[in-house]
Amino acid sequence: MPSKEIDMIKVLETKLKGKPVQIQLGHLGTAAVQASAGAYKDVLKAMLEADEKTAVTAITGIDLGANIGVYYHIRTSNAFITIQAEVPKENPKIATVTDLMSGAAFHELEVADLLGVVFEGHPSPGRLVLPENWPEGIYPLRKDVKASEVKLNPPSTVDEKLSDEGKLVKIVIGPQHPALLEPEKFAVTVDGETVKNVEPRIGYVHRGIEKASESRTYLQDVYLVERICGICNSCHATAFVETVEKILKTDVPHRAKYLRTIILELNRLHSHLLTLGHAGLEIGYETLFQYFWRDREPIMDLIEIVTGNRVISSSMTVGGVRRDIKDTDIPKIKTVLTDLRKKLPFYKEIYENEPSLKMRMQKVGTLSKEDALKLCVVGPVARGSGVDIDVRKDEPYEAYGEIPFKVITYTAGDTWSRMNVRMDEVEESINIIEYALDNMPAGAYRVKVPRVVPAGEAVNRVEAPRGELFYYVKSNGTAYPERVKVRTPTFANIPSFLKTAIGESIADIPPNFVSLDPCFSCTDR
Amino acid sequence: MANKRIISPMFKEVLRQLFKKPATGKYPFVKCTPAEGFRGKQVFDINLCVSCGLCSRDCPAKAIEMVEVNGKRRPMFLLDRCIFCYQCAESCPRNAIKASDVFELASTNKSDLVLKPQIIDQKSNGA
Amino acid sequence: MIDYLLLIFRVLVFPGFTFILFFTMFCDWVERKIEARMQNRMGPSFTGPSGILQPLADFIKLLTKEEITPCESKKTVFRFAPILAFSVLVFAMCFLPFDGSSIIPNVSFAGDLIFVMALVSVANFLLFLSGWASANPYSSIGAARVLTQFLGYDIPLLMLAIAPAFLAGSLTISTIVSSQWLPFAVLAPWAFVLFIITMQAELEKDPFDVPHAESEVVAGHETEYSGGKLAFLKLARDVQIVFGAALIVVLFLGGANGPVFFGLPAFWGTLWFVIKLLAIVVVSEYLTVLFARLRIDQVVRANWRILLPLSVLSLILTISLAVWIYPLV
Repeated sequence: MPSKEIDMIKVLETKLKGKPVQIQLGHLGTAAVQASAGAYKDVLKAMLEADEKTAVTAITGIDLGANIGVYYHIRTSNAFITIQAEVPKENPKIATVTDLMSGAAFHELEVADLLGVVFEGHPSPGRLVLPENWPEGIYPLRKDVKASEVKLNPPSTVDEKLSDEGKLVKIVIGPQHPALLEPEKFAVTVDGETVKNVEPRIGYVHRGIEKASESRTYLQDVYLVERICGICNSCHATAFVETVEKILKTDVPHRAKYLRTIILELNRLHSHLLTLGHAGLEIGYETLFQYFWRDREPIMDLIEIVTGNRVISSSMTVGGVRRDIKDTDIPKIKTVLTDLRKKLPFYKEIYENEPSLKMRMQKVGTLSKEDALKLCVVGPVARGSGVDIDVRKDEPYEAYGEIPFKVITYTAGDTWSRMNVRMDEVEESINIIEYALDNMPAGAYRVKVPRVVPAGEAVNRVEAPRGELFYYVKSNGTAYPERVKVRTPTFANIPSFLKTAIGESIADIPPNFVSLDPCFSCTDR
Repeated sequence: MANKRIISPMFKEVLRQLFKKPATGKYPFVKCTPAEGFRGKQVFDINLCVSCGLCSRDCPAKAIEMVEVNGKRRPMFLLDRCIFCYQCAESCPRNAIKASDVFELASTNKSDLVLKPQIIDQKSNGA
Repeated sequence: MIDYLLLIFRVLVFPGFTFILFFTMFCDWVERKIEARMQNRMGPSFTGPSGILQPLADFIKLLTKEEITPCESKKTVFRFAPILAFSVLVFAMCFLPFDGSSIIPNVSFAGDLIFVMALVSVANFLLFLSGWASANPYSSIGAARVLTQFLGYDIPLLMLAIAPAFLAGSLTISTIVSSQWLPFAVLAPWAFVLFIITMQAELEKDPFDVPHAESEVVAGHETEYSGGKLAFLKLARDVQIVFGAALIVVLFLGGANGPVFFGLPAFWGTLWFVIKLLAIVVVSEYLTVLFARLRIDQVVRANWRILLPLSVLSLILTISLAVWIYPLV
């Protein structure tokens, strides 16, 4: 049983005496508080008063038959607690938490869209993941909805007003735009060249993966969930299989944990090198882009040697990993990593000394530490603003508890800091992989698990290259999961872009945006 | 922190790269071979198959259909649906599905992308 | 009769229009190949030996595509701006002495340096009009950026161009070329270096690449163009680059002068001109590859706060040191 939650639970038990709440330590693998729809906000207030680093990780909506469950997954500096509330299906109204934590806005909109829960007092209600012409009253994630009853309304033909009577012009960036790799729409209101307001519209890549996972077996779901994102595919697979293993209460062999760590860190390496190159492209620095991507190629070859494919690794399974590393491959891996490590000082010097790069990246897109905490951002975006959260240290999983590494933070909070965080993390990843290869325990790399998972639910968090990735899986005793909830890091980080872009020029939008490392396939699922 | 210099190191590096061999290869005139264990096109050994149908049931992409060949049920691989995860190879109790390193599968007609189960003729030695 | 035929040959074929066209494509190939090699990749390699036919292939491909004219655009300006910009630039090139005398013979007159710079400004203005006439917010932002940039940088460019004119004692291009027994790049190096940097900005290359910033304004003033008009817009940009390099060669590097080995001076002149031009193209491409793209406000600030004072200083320096430089001219 995790001991970190005990402190927070004791605080809550004192503060919430007399309220209709039920505190359960050990539930869901960490701790849970069952509260009524009226009392859950008091629990949140108590947690906020106790710890300033309290933030919303995700809000899960789940169809429980007569009721709809609204679960708030809250992380604090050393605990992870779920507040479980329920609302009746005929009248699904619940109070919003955006007045306490503005970062919860997107999460509430998604639950409203997909399950029909009305959050009273939400600052900007509207559609988030479903298109505008989706018929009213049909909520995809409810169990009683049928695909045949969905008939889309004809798309609206009203043109968006591109400028008002004054001097403000609305420029629509996306859905198709050279700066964005994947389609999302940002309507930017500008005055000359200064940005006044940003209105986002996401959901263009929504494929309904959470609903699709309910009609596939757990084994097939591993491959489905891997394809939520091409770049951080191993992290999705790892998070899912870890959650299922928590429900099954199995422990993977020690060697499998080290192998998983190596694959996850290789994933992080190639993702960070991709972002660093992409940022160079956005500021017009094509040379840096080509150099970074040239140095990323040997890492892709390494991933091919270890897992059998360059991008989608498909090497995690419930109970371990699917294949082992051969001893003859280890010297090859080490040579490539040593070569990459030798190239890093050159890139660090460019970031320190190149005047045009510094002019484009420093003091651009600044996010202060208070804003980072209020908006509940994760990953290098948070670490670039001085907030040191890293799931690998806060709640060690796989072999991270045994491998020494540093959590990198910078304090300036601008684009330059975030890119530097990623570059330093590249070096840390190389250290982690080398340590894991040197200290790999012998033994099996896989255990057999039953195909039918007993009833239960679990939560799990993994540090993807872009930040904290959260999974919640509920099983009902059959071979098919009841609910799979995914909260990806970019989903939590996009609201910070709405804050940092205001007041700067349009020309700063591409580097600012790329420094978040947006992955829209992850965001929309 | 890195060293602070007067001129950025890019000045020298760019000139150095001018005289080096390019990092890109002249594919398709110069071929590259993938690493060992690469998950390419499936190689199906019909003599080992026992018609259990586990490959078809476990396939995440519904890319394997069981068809009748000589009175027995055999898997037919639809490569345009396949995601090359090789769950079929893992589920097969007799190891009848193996990987090859063939990855150039693009074609202009769909029938090239269907791997029909063939009887390997003993006399003609599997041409 | 023979004179007329020779005139037509000179203007249309060599060193006239056809030569300029193919030489522009050759310079485009040199640029792309050098940029690629500096970035450790191949560059054009498959069309023709070593990819030398790639620019021609791109041009022909664009000519075969469908041309779409937006219904809200100003149609006349939209249709004619690309081809007019291209023609004005080729016309301006005809005043530069490729082989010792201007391409259209006997057209040089006193002060044609200013005339040539004015023609380049007209061509840039036509590019601005091409963006302004398309009814698209991205094009209008790109066009505004083109205007801001070239208007701003024209002033230091002219001031720096005065330095060789001052040393040669005349504003006629052919006089400036013929009075360079020692290239002015050696005699007035400060003006030479500043002129190359200002020409980077004038030609809209990194770090002053703002009008072509894809990630912000899609394609700038070229957004709504397609087919043949886009082909000519791109060709106009390439001709502008060759023109800029040719201007540097004429003003600072001695034009077509160079050691002549076995007689046939006309041929040697063009060869030396071409070699010097390619050297300038390579240096300019090196500067492009080195830097990131600056923001428009940083570009404008760099102009008014740095380049303009420096060009005034360079003029003052040239004039004060003229007494010692004159004997070497």
